[in-house]
Amino acid sequence: MLLPAFRYLRAADIGEAVAALAAGGDGAQVLAGGTDLLISMRQGLVAPVTLIGIRGLQELDGIDTGATGDLRVGAGVLLTDLAEHPVVLARFPSLAQAARSVGSRHVRNMATLGGNLRLPTRCWYTNQSADWRASRAPCWKTDGGLCHVIKTSETCRAINSSDTAPALLALGARLRLRSVRGEREAPLAAFYNDDGVRHTNLARDEIITAVLVPPARVRTLFVKAAARTGLDYGYGTLAAAVTGANKAIKSARLVAGSVGSWPVTLERAGQIIVERGLNPAAIEAAGEATREDLGEVANLFSPPGYKKRLVRGLVVQVLEQLRRIKPGTD
Amino acid sequence: MDQHFITLTVNGDSHRVPVAVQDTLVDVLRNKLGLMGTKRGCTSGSCGVCTIQGEDSRAVLSCLALAIEWDGRSLTTIEGVATPAGLHPVQQAFLEFGAVQCGACTPGLIMTAKALLETNPSPDEAAINEALAGAICRCTGHIKVKEAVRQAIRRMAATTEDADGAPQG
Repeated sequence: MLLPAFRYLRAADIGEAVAALAAGGDGAQVLAGGTDLLISMRQGLVAPVTLIGIRGLQELDGIDTGATGDLRVGAGVLLTDLAEHPVVLARFPSLAQAARSVGSRHVRNMATLGGNLRLPTRCWYTNQSADWRASRAPCWKTDGGLCHVIKTSETCRAINSSDTAPALLALGARLRLRSVRGEREAPLAAFYNDDGVRHTNLARDEIITAVLVPPARVRTLFVKAAARTGLDYGYGTLAAAVTGANKAIKSARLVAGSVGSWPVTLERAGQIIVERGLNPAAIEAAGEATREDLGEVANLFSPPGYKKRLVRGLVVQVLEQLRRIKPGTD
Repeated sequence: MDQHFITLTVNGDSHRVPVAVQDTLVDVLRNKLGLMGTKRGCTSGSCGVCTIQGEDSRAVLSCLALAIEWDGRSLTTIEGVATPAGLHPVQQAFLEFGAVQCGACTPGLIMTAKALLETNPSPDEAAINEALAGAICRCTGHIKVKEAVRQAIRRMAATTEDADGAPQG
């Protein structure tokens, strides 16, 4: 499939990029790695009038550690570089594992962290060629008024398949965002919506410039269950981060990805671990609690019953692994 | 149509090429420069037949790169892999191990394997699998391909040792 025509502007710096994005209105979009956007354009899912090239901008580059041990990752950092960074591997292995599980090595050599965080949601009724889509009534995502997956759904139920999002949510990350209106910081937890169409709160004129990970001493892991190990979206992913010793857990964040329109924070499961500690009985109870935490799950890419059992299994597997890792000292 | 001129260095040769904004790199290599070795496959980043190497030797997908974004940059395609002195060790190993069936995926697999060995000269089994997951052969499995890659690793390691060793004779 050929790409439709568009205008291309190469931004010399971030100021020029946000100015062009603001000036371009609804038709303007930034192009970073392009590994998802160009496919969506070929499928006619998006038709930007203007693409603003931001690949390699200095302001979006770099992985730095601050004086307090916090981590700043530029949104333009390639997933390969994130996955192989020594500080990330040593201190936030879940983030390296998540970055490494995206696509193939070829894709990760092009794709950026910012792009993965704002990855559009996917559905097997919409992520198809325009001809294929034309054989069905338009849905919420294609300017219609229904959902082919859950007929009674009032919103789009397409799946958020970002792998880095659950990892960074579990780590309590924040986003730095830039527009002509200025710069702002926001918790990543406030970035996603349980809605396949308006799946992030990124303003139309905003660019993610960096991701900030707080310095807490965490034990953290990310696992992905997919049809095959390389180059596939997950049937389900799980990111977990705990602080404190097994008998005195201070915080436990569990986030499931690729099972809903947003990365689902498993509130009750995490709470059980904080209340009861990281031990086999509590881990079983946390696994039990995931069913309720997940709520209604769509029959999309895999059946809902399967997804629920999968996430429960991933929770138990990951917490058992974390229990065996020696906690860091503050 | 919106035409721009870009400068692209391919296999060491500099070209000034007219491109439309929506031309992807694979389109320019094949249709403007006549380099047909790089294949146009799924155009969605799944098959790896369009794999080329950028300046840093990493494998990238030329079907998901806009040519205009490669203005001023260098790349290597399958046509730049063999030298007048002979085949590259990866190519030689593919021949020896019969790691070719219909051949459509071969340029992509060779570029993928070459990129792996140039960014990680002694990859373990997991690293080989990880790299090859991004380039797919639909005729057969990856067994012979992996045997060929392992042979190329051994041969390239031996060559490096010779070069690093004590004075000959």
